[in-house]
Amino acid sequence: MKRRKIDLKTLPAKAGDEVEDRLGVATPLRGIINKVFPDHWSFLLGEIALFSFIVLLLTGTFLTLFFEPSLKEVVYDGSYTPLRGVHMSAAYSSSLDLSFDVRGGLVMRQMHHWAALVFMAAIIVHMLRIFFTGAFRKPREINWIIGSLLFWIGFLEGFTGYSLPDDALSGTGLRIASAILLSIPLIGTWATSSIFNGEFPGDIIVSRFYIVHVLLIPAILLALITVHLALVFKQKHTQWPGPGRTNTNVVGERFFPRYTIKQAGFFMAVAGVIAVLAGALQINPIWLFGPYEAGVVSAASQPDWYVMFLDGSTRLMPAWQINIGIGNGYVIPPIFWPTVVLPGLLATLPMMYPFIEARLNRDNKIHNLLQRPRDVPQRTALGVMAVVFFLVLVLSGGNDVIADKFNISLNATTWGGRIGLLILPPLFYWVTFRICLGLQQHDREVLAHGVETGIIRRAPDGRFYEVHQPLGHDHAELDYAGWVVPKKMNRLGALGPSLKGFFRPLERPAEAPVSPGHPPVEGVPERREIESKH
Amino acid sequence: MSVQTTGSNGNDHGSPVPEEIDYDDPRTTRFEKVKAAARQDGVEIVHYEPQYPEKGSRLERRMSRTVGLMFLLCGLFGTAFVVLYIVWPWRWKQGDVLMKYYTPLLGVTLGLMCLFIAFGVLIWGKKLLPREVSIQDRHDGGSPKGDRRAVGQTLAYMVEELGVKRRPLLGLAAAAGLAPVAVVIAAPVIGGLIKNPHADNQLFTTGWAPINEPGGGTRLVRMTRDDGTPIRPADVSVGGQMTVFPGIPEGATNAHADSPTLLIHLRSDDAAVARANNVKGTGHDKFDRSDFMYGDYIAFSKICTHAGCPASLYEQQTNRLLCPCHQSQFQITNNAIPVFGPASRSLPQLPLDVDDEGYFVARSDYLATVGPDFWERP
Amino acid sequence: MTSPHRSGGLLTRMRSRRAVPRSRARRRAASAVRLIAALVLAGGLYTAFAPAISAQDAPLSPAAMEGKALFDNSCISCHAMNGQGIEGRGPSLIGVGAASVEFQVSTGRMPLGSQGAQALEKPPVFDEEQTRQIAQYVQELGGGPAVPEGDDLHSGGDVAAGGQIFRLNCSSCHAFGGGGGALSSGKFAPRLSDTTDRVIWAAMLSGPQNMPVFGDNQLTPEQKRDVVAYVQETLKDRDPGGFNLGRLGPTTEGLAVFVVGITALIFTALWIAGKS
Repeated sequence: MKRRKIDLKTLPAKAGDEVEDRLGVATPLRGIINKVFPDHWSFLLGEIALFSFIVLLLTGTFLTLFFEPSLKEVVYDGSYTPLRGVHMSAAYSSSLDLSFDVRGGLVMRQMHHWAALVFMAAIIVHMLRIFFTGAFRKPREINWIIGSLLFWIGFLEGFTGYSLPDDALSGTGLRIASAILLSIPLIGTWATSSIFNGEFPGDIIVSRFYIVHVLLIPAILLALITVHLALVFKQKHTQWPGPGRTNTNVVGERFFPRYTIKQAGFFMAVAGVIAVLAGALQINPIWLFGPYEAGVVSAASQPDWYVMFLDGSTRLMPAWQINIGIGNGYVIPPIFWPTVVLPGLLATLPMMYPFIEARLNRDNKIHNLLQRPRDVPQRTALGVMAVVFFLVLVLSGGNDVIADKFNISLNATTWGGRIGLLILPPLFYWVTFRICLGLQQHDREVLAHGVETGIIRRAPDGRFYEVHQPLGHDHAELDYAGWVVPKKMNRLGALGPSLKGFFRPLERPAEAPVSPGHPPVEGVPERREIESKH
Repeated sequence: MSVQTTGSNGNDHGSPVPEEIDYDDPRTTRFEKVKAAARQDGVEIVHYEPQYPEKGSRLERRMSRTVGLMFLLCGLFGTAFVVLYIVWPWRWKQGDVLMKYYTPLLGVTLGLMCLFIAFGVLIWGKKLLPREVSIQDRHDGGSPKGDRRAVGQTLAYMVEELGVKRRPLLGLAAAAGLAPVAVVIAAPVIGGLIKNPHADNQLFTTGWAPINEPGGGTRLVRMTRDDGTPIRPADVSVGGQMTVFPGIPEGATNAHADSPTLLIHLRSDDAAVARANNVKGTGHDKFDRSDFMYGDYIAFSKICTHAGCPASLYEQQTNRLLCPCHQSQFQITNNAIPVFGPASRSLPQLPLDVDDEGYFVARSDYLATVGPDFWERP
Repeated sequence: MTSPHRSGGLLTRMRSRRAVPRSRARRRAASAVRLIAALVLAGGLYTAFAPAISAQDAPLSPAAMEGKALFDNSCISCHAMNGQGIEGRGPSLIGVGAASVEFQVSTGRMPLGSQGAQALEKPPVFDEEQTRQIAQYVQELGGGPAVPEGDDLHSGGDVAAGGQIFRLNCSSCHAFGGGGGALSSGKFAPRLSDTTDRVIWAAMLSGPQNMPVFGDNQLTPEQKRDVVAYVQETLKDRDPGGFNLGRLGPTTEGLAVFVVGITALIFTALWIAGKS
């Protein structure tokens, strides 16, 4: 039987042809391979969220193979002796089994939980970058809205996720969530009773949360993330202004190979950091919390950090109850405002911000160039104000831990939070605004008068002055171009090229490549002490 | 074989680049062919510079060695992970030290494996690949004007052809008929989920309600510990507190999550103050509490009226009850009225009594609603 | 001078024999003797029939005597001579028992450094022997609960039962991991690490400051043993998931994700896109 000779050299081309005949991918593939992506470190922050989401999907799938989403009461009989014989729900028992009776289960559980925290943290950091650089402006408002939705849906995903094990800490959080629902006027009791199938806690809430957490919300998240990325692809990434960069081009590197390598490497870095966190730092030790019982609570009960701002707003809210005296009397409890109204505002107002800013600035042009935060002082100050507001709320959410560890009176931290929430944001607005203006002024000063060289000269009349290196020719005043103004001599290429090598130089200075126009670097001449002439 | 391009598909938004690229021409380098191909997508490779002009320089070799080392270390830690996973003791045992390192070791080796892949790949990209600067045109502003008009006209024509404007009754009938479809789809979901919150008066009843005996009359509910044993007054120390549950089946479980109660044995002088305030009735509920206490014993609902956490931090000397969730503080000696924090309603008080055998009972259910407030609370 | 047969019996004859007036000195001496006799009689009657005497007057055990010496040097400035307490300075110690003293003194809380929201733990001023003596003295002053003998009060305890009692009664102030927690207005429940069995037992028994009292009627000695076993064995056991970040829950976890995770990743991003 004659064996067909397989020509290895043409095999890839032949295989490619077969695929191409059926799917017709060559032209789109060429477009993708050649697509240019701009290069800046701050453009990688969104990727942290994307890659941690992938880690969540992978570790979460593992966990679903062992978790039992049922509130049926069982008696624990696993390896963890301090809970042997204790009555608990099957959900809690299966979570304990995951932690102690599944090989490697605890590291997977911890990876899943740390990845969730990293996911939410990355969303916030990425969102701040987008905000402070103005990347949400036309045509990217839809992506901004999708991003905000991703935060809130991720919030719900995390909440349903950490409530699944039915431990005392998350059960307390669930109790508070039911109180929040109850507080809604008119429909509160109906909504709560429907979701919990009766009075709190009922016996079905974990099963309902399970399907939401494992199927419904991940599907929505996947869809939104896909649209989010597709929009970035289609509209092309924004870029900083700079040499050669205009509003109608993208300057950077092609997708393949450099951009792909960076993405692949960063994915491994994110996965690696999450794995190291999962190994080195313990998170959510449910075996110490015990099963959820309505009469049991621990000090230092907080939700995960991305929910903690709501805990803070609840702690700071004064006890203002609204009594409505019609009929039998109705009541709007004080918990309604910080946990229903406030997040409602926090969710909708930022989503509308691109349109509000465009209207205020009467600006409906397309913007593909980013703005340095200092160049838009109102927006930057507003963003800092929002961050400070959020931070005060988050810190107030942990005020009993802060009070205990720093020996401050608990009542004082509450009052500090209440007053700080009202005073600190406007204060920081003003401070940030002034700082932005100062930085802008310095930029223009350098553009007009040049870079400080550090060389001090003395004029004949005795005056000391510093020599400045002008940036343009003939002392011409340069216009500000929206990009970084060099403020140090080494940024002008006024120093020789840096030596390569860590412990000792790899190349002798004379051999190092020099930039054109720069005289070759010679060895430093030997210096002799000034000898006295006696 | 040469390839003619008209540039109508791909990412080039319709501006044709009629450059002919002869892929078999031996005179042009591969890089020039690549550059030409990129131009067809509007990409101009402006700068492409290998990082090591002389191949095989010390620096390049050093970088290659570094990258190789990174991948080898990745393999090392990956193998370590597998070995540790199988070999290291991991079953939980109290006091055992080795097994406590199982998770940290797994996490760290897995993490380092991933990080070394990351370093290897990234150093390869940063230090070994040529540097490049490419420029691509954006084509913002949407499709060309002609396409917009075309779509607009087509849609308008379709609407005309459908003839809804000419046949208003048809349109009305369609709208009227289709309107309930949304309700039909939503009905099973909402209908299945909806549950009446006032069934069995559950919002206003707890496990302490006296039980109606089958032969008539009511039986008062005893106070029990979490294991179900009833409680005598002598079982609670002076200045002490105990969490008590109704003595009914499943009384101490989450099936009666609104029933946990805090039984406190006040010191005599504090008890006198509490009794006086009970009589004055300065709580938020206007009930007559003058006989709710039993001697120096007082009982309040443990379920905080703010958000439902158990308010459990009893400060024996100040007689404040602190709830750890949002720091509400209730003054036990004054009808558990909230004196700090976001709670706005005092804790309901359980009327105490002792039955013939000397065990604590609840003389009736709570007269106020237990737990967080809601709209219909009178 | 004497009349022959006066009417009268013995008494008359005694009286008549007394008809001779004595000298002045003899009269004085006689009245002095009468006075002393009366005083002795009164004192003797009082001693015999006086109501229950204060403990001070009862003989103290040798340990309590030593304790009294220490007490009189360090404690009476706030707790008064017989431990009745001084308003605004120190509470009464009648009935607090040896357990309370053992807790307060062996943890250094007493002698109090300064008046504040609550007494702070500090290096103890008195050593074990002295603490026991002061405890004995206070016990004999007014009675009260005492910690059982021995240093090991946890062996044989059921950690599962202890855990359930701990979570229901203790974790609300001391936190699920024994890390401690804040109370109102500057008070706090301390951490439970670095404590001995006796200190834990003494705290439960005596209910120091704002901690509620868990007498032996409320938590039996077996239950107390279970709780001590839970605290000393389970809570002190190494964490199986890595460094526990203080066992303070999501607050420190959130801090760690930013300080460690996001910082590391941002530095990685800076390195990736850097021009070096």
